[in-house]
Amino acid sequence: MTEESIGRSFAAGIVGVLAILASCAAVAAPEYAEVRPGVALVFPRDDGAHPAYRTEWWYITGWARDRSGRELGVQVTFFRNRPGVAEANPSAFAPRQLLFAHAAVADALHGRLRHDQRAARAGFGLAGAAEGLTDIAIGDWSLRATDRGYAARIPAQGFTLDLAFRVTQPPLLQGAGGYSRKGPAPAQASYYYSRPHLAVSGTVTIDGAPIAVEGEAWLDREWSSEYLSPEAEGWDWAGINLADGGALMAFRIRDRHGGTLWAGGTLRRGDGTVRTFAPHEIAFTPLRSWRSPRTDADYPVAMGVRAGDIELRLESLMDDQELDSRATVGTVYWEGAVRATGGGRTLGRGYLELTGYWRPLKL
Amino acid sequence: MLRIRALAKRYEGPRPRTVLAGIDFDLAAGEYVAVMGESGIGKSTLLNLIAGLDRPDAGSIELEGRDLARLDDDALTVLRRARMGFVFQAFHILPYLSVAENVALPLVLLGAAAGEGRARVDAMLSEVGLNGRAASRPSELSGGELQRVAIARALVHRPALVLADEPTGNLDPDSAAQVLALLRDAVKGNNGAAILVTHSRAAAATADRVYTLTAAGLRAGGARD
Amino acid sequence: MAHVPAPRLRGTLRATAGALAGHKGRVLVTIVAIALGVALGYAVQLVNRVAVNEFGQAVQTLSGTADLAMRGPRGGFDEHLFGEIARLPEVAAASPIVEVEARIPGRDDALRVLGLDVFRAGLIQPGLVPEAAESLDTLRDDTIFLNAAAMDWLGARTGDLVPMQVGTQVIRLRVAGSVPAEGHAQPLAVMDIAGAQWRLARIGRLTRIEVRARPGADVAALERRVAAMLPPGVAVERPAAAIESTLRLSRAYRVNLNVLALVALFTGGLLVFSTQALTVVRRRPYLALLRVLGVTRGGLVGLLLVEASAIGAIGALAGLLGGYGLAQLVLEIVGPDLGSGFFRGLAARATFEAAPAALFFALGVATALFGSLAAASEAARTEPAQALRAGDEERAFGRLAPTAPGIGFIALGALLTAAPPVRGLPIFGYVAIACLLVGTILLIAHIARAAFRRMPVGRNPPARLAVLQLRGAPGQATVSLAAIVASVSLLVSMAIMVASFRQSLDAWLEHVLPADLYVRAGRTGDTAFLPPDVQQAIAALPGVRRVEFLRSERLLLDPERPQIVLLARAIDATTAPLRLPLVRSADLPAGGAPPAWVSEIAADVYGLAVGQEIVLPIAGRRVRFRVAGVWRDYARQQGAVVIERALYAELTGDRDANDAAIYLEPHASPDAVIRALRARIPGAAELETALPSEIRRRSLKIFDRTFAVTYALEAAALAIGLMSLSSSFGALVLARRREFGVLRHLGLTRTQVGAMLATEGAIVSALGLAVGTALGWVISLILIHVVNRQSFHWSMDLHVPWTSLAAFTATMLALASLTALVSGRQAMGAGVLRAVKEDW
Repeated sequence: MTEESIGRSFAAGIVGVLAILASCAAVAAPEYAEVRPGVALVFPRDDGAHPAYRTEWWYITGWARDRSGRELGVQVTFFRNRPGVAEANPSAFAPRQLLFAHAAVADALHGRLRHDQRAARAGFGLAGAAEGLTDIAIGDWSLRATDRGYAARIPAQGFTLDLAFRVTQPPLLQGAGGYSRKGPAPAQASYYYSRPHLAVSGTVTIDGAPIAVEGEAWLDREWSSEYLSPEAEGWDWAGINLADGGALMAFRIRDRHGGTLWAGGTLRRGDGTVRTFAPHEIAFTPLRSWRSPRTDADYPVAMGVRAGDIELRLESLMDDQELDSRATVGTVYWEGAVRATGGGRTLGRGYLELTGYWRPLKL
Repeated sequence: MLRIRALAKRYEGPRPRTVLAGIDFDLAAGEYVAVMGESGIGKSTLLNLIAGLDRPDAGSIELEGRDLARLDDDALTVLRRARMGFVFQAFHILPYLSVAENVALPLVLLGAAAGEGRARVDAMLSEVGLNGRAASRPSELSGGELQRVAIARALVHRPALVLADEPTGNLDPDSAAQVLALLRDAVKGNNGAAILVTHSRAAAATADRVYTLTAAGLRAGGARD
Repeated sequence: MAHVPAPRLRGTLRATAGALAGHKGRVLVTIVAIALGVALGYAVQLVNRVAVNEFGQAVQTLSGTADLAMRGPRGGFDEHLFGEIARLPEVAAASPIVEVEARIPGRDDALRVLGLDVFRAGLIQPGLVPEAAESLDTLRDDTIFLNAAAMDWLGARTGDLVPMQVGTQVIRLRVAGSVPAEGHAQPLAVMDIAGAQWRLARIGRLTRIEVRARPGADVAALERRVAAMLPPGVAVERPAAAIESTLRLSRAYRVNLNVLALVALFTGGLLVFSTQALTVVRRRPYLALLRVLGVTRGGLVGLLLVEASAIGAIGALAGLLGGYGLAQLVLEIVGPDLGSGFFRGLAARATFEAAPAALFFALGVATALFGSLAAASEAARTEPAQALRAGDEERAFGRLAPTAPGIGFIALGALLTAAPPVRGLPIFGYVAIACLLVGTILLIAHIARAAFRRMPVGRNPPARLAVLQLRGAPGQATVSLAAIVASVSLLVSMAIMVASFRQSLDAWLEHVLPADLYVRAGRTGDTAFLPPDVQQAIAALPGVRRVEFLRSERLLLDPERPQIVLLARAIDATTAPLRLPLVRSADLPAGGAPPAWVSEIAADVYGLAVGQEIVLPIAGRRVRFRVAGVWRDYARQQGAVVIERALYAELTGDRDANDAAIYLEPHASPDAVIRALRARIPGAAELETALPSEIRRRSLKIFDRTFAVTYALEAAALAIGLMSLSSSFGALVLARRREFGVLRHLGLTRTQVGAMLATEGAIVSALGLAVGTALGWVISLILIHVVNRQSFHWSMDLHVPWTSLAAFTATMLALASLTALVSGRQAMGAGVLRAVKEDW
């Protein structure tokens, strides 16, 4: 069986699950938990899963380097979804909780992303997201808490990630103490925290050749029951580990005309002080665009980001970091390693995420 | 005994032709005559008409005072069965019957009692000189012998009229002479009449009288040389 | 033939073709006979190929890229096995399946429903992943997806509700989209595995797990490892094995059909033999003349064989076309299982296939060649001078029938009936039949000679002549006789076999249906059952004296074979002879393993004898039983075993039932009880009630449908027999025209010649029918006691259908005499008189 046909069958199997997430709105509403302001996040409890909410993710992006200085972008993402069906079904197979995972390696030498994905319903000890601590797995893909941080093991098609992520800083609570608004309505919000400056060490195996790597990563943890406003087309997001030990997260949610529907961001300086930005303080300015030869989508792969008085220019490690996840979450987006520069200097490294450029994003 | 008047026969078809026309002919009991003529002139047709195997287009045939035209096929068949005997050029001895069974055939058809039949067949066989061959199969016999079986079969039921069509056509001159002598003796011994159709001058010479069939009719006398 | 100069050969061929053209009618009949045999064989082959392909493709769709599949009893096995299997490091992907034959109210066939985990099925069986407008519908428990065949069958479209009977209740599932299931021509439905488990009453159960091994993993090692983990009654196999084991079930049936096709071809070959023998004999002097003119012996044989193969080729070609058409027709009307019911629901079209086409073409040509070989070599051996003589034909016929080999064949045939089956097929049984047939045909000339010799010679001239002719030339009749004996014996044997089977089935039905009324949760499918409360309600109905409930399940005893049927019912050593049509039984010592009664098929296939121990995997445990009896069962081809229901309930906790046999109070009427049932029992609308007489009628109808193909082949054999008869009579009459001419000269009337021919025809047919019927009876014994026993494991009691055989014999006799008469009439034209002038 060729790689392509495996891909196809896989795709056929789990196509359009993102659409599943979207169609949840139409379902005779199950009792999803609501995201409310003023709820304090507690650790490690909130590292674990929150199955009462509709959508949740563990999103690690980072830069890794081998001894020769070759730089790789690395992405490991787990999604949990409660589709709101079969809630009363006594079957052990009842699809009450679904799990998806994406993994990707950006390698400038290769020129485009290597990526792979998984999907499963929770159960039988074969797939699940534990509550109370980080322990999430789909088959042999896993992300688990260690005593110093996290460990990810991702044996994928064409590459394997075996990486440890050491926590070096306290969690960065986004929005108002972890309550992050995503739109004009107060319910359009998520619980959101990040862990910047995770120290990466481990092995990336590409085409059977193991490469020992070190680097720095960023974990986003977010869960919600109602995320996007219906008018939203997609979002731009960036999470940058600044060279001075600081961290900047900025996002904007675009409307169907390219305007900004909502925006937000947080800066934690090297000294640990935190500044949260109001929507009007955030601006994303496309500087250069790249057209995907596969999907014809135009992505602004060089982006100017302003957050308050901070101005950064984000330049991609390589242009083609398009990620086709139609097989699992049903969309195509750009998730790329970027360098942040300002005043001619490299100020940091991180990831830029561009969604809704292929087709309006449904979540 | 046989009286033919103004007999005519015409064959229809793609090339219609008149075979016989204006034939007048009388044959008395005990007469042995030969009919000669060119090939295709109608000798066999004449025999078939006399035998009631074919119907004339004009004229009449009376056998022992009965007009053949008035008889249907079955009656003709019965008449033939009882009053006629045949000798063919190709012998036509039935291969699956023994010599005696072949000779007995006319008696069987006439419903003769078995014992009487057997005696008559034996007598006939000895008359044609085949006493010892009664149980033989036809395939074991020579041509001359086969024709002698045929003569025995033709006369076993004492027919009034024997019709012989080229009986020696398939035989060598010696056998032919024997067969002709036998046929003549048998017919005469039975006090029957016979018509011998032949090409052979030698054969015709054994007859009491010779007729020649021409397009103009049947006239007395041998064929012109 | 190289030594024959080409121009002369061409000229000779032209002359021969001219001679053949003079026998147009006979040559045509021969071509038709070969075409018929080839057509039947090719059609059976094509139809069967379609069935196998369709079935294989269906399995392919269902198993996808799986390396291994685990399957167990029909009711499934514990789902925990899935987690254990999926976690094995060598397993790349595992797809759990709960497969249910869902009863659709008001339908005769059940709908095959697969409960799948789409995320996992997508990895192994992508063809089964539903196409949904709303992708979340693939996960709901009230939605179902249908393939095109199911949409057609149910007349359903997306958005419609499909009703299904579960227990005695009816649930409705929404059609939310389609399943591509390419290559799966049967109706098929897919739904989420959780929904299927819940809504179709299979919580905690799986029926199958498909597994794909990691690239590079040792599949055989994985198979062994998995096998060690499986509970009793669950087996692991390669997906292809599933095709094998199911096809094995129908293999005997297929082989039997192919043998029937070969029989048709054989009869065709016999016809070639008769026609060719007659034309050669009739042309003897002409062929001898060719020899005289300088054609060599080999050249002559070659010439005749070229002639025969031309006839064979034309016939075979026509047969292939006809077979293709026939296959198409059969597929449309009867379905690819030829009415046998082995591949229920398959629908397909025949496709031309080169290999079987070439095979059957070759068979057709070979048949013609073989048929003419004897005649050709005889013609070549004869000294020309002899052949030119009149009366030599009979000698030629004599040579066509040697004696010693005939006796040898019959003796060999008798010996072979004692031989065991080969790989489950009655190969030697068939060979024995062929030997008897060939032996009898070789001896037929001697039989005929003896019979004709003893025949009285009457005084009636035509009859007398007929007998004398037959006595004097038995050889000519033997060719006709051979054809009659072959077709009659085959036909009679089939008729006796089918009648015996039908009679035995009828008697069996009577035995197994002793009650006054039967209630079934559903005739088809396995979602319908009678829960305990409904059972009590049935027992409490007014007019009901006693009810016996039956639970049926399917167990996997041997992964190489289909599941065996387990029947749990109220039975014990005392009542067994009343409940079951036992063929063997024994009193078992008390206190030992509980008794089980196995069907004949199960006894044969699994090698079980009375008194022997049998281990049944029930509820995941190995339970020991002792065989207390063997019973006759025509209903379950995969084998069946009966145990006590109380014991079954104790072992499994399953107290549901599938059927109820109701015994009524003496005064009660079945109709009243049915009305009460409908009125008082919830969900009774979906229950099926039947009187034993209805079940009997229905079963016999199914039987007749199954044997429809057999009847068609019988009709073909009869047609070939008659054609053969008329052809050989026609030839004989033509050959004897001079003789008729002489007889007419000697004073035989037309009617008398006709009567003579009719008498000959009647005598020959009567002899042929007598020998054929006797041989047919012997062959039917082989069919019943060897072929059927070995291929289907069914025993049956001999039943000779005297009335229909007598009617058939009378018809054949009349037809044969008529044929002879008509042939005679045709030959009795004016030409007969001129024939006396012909020399040859």
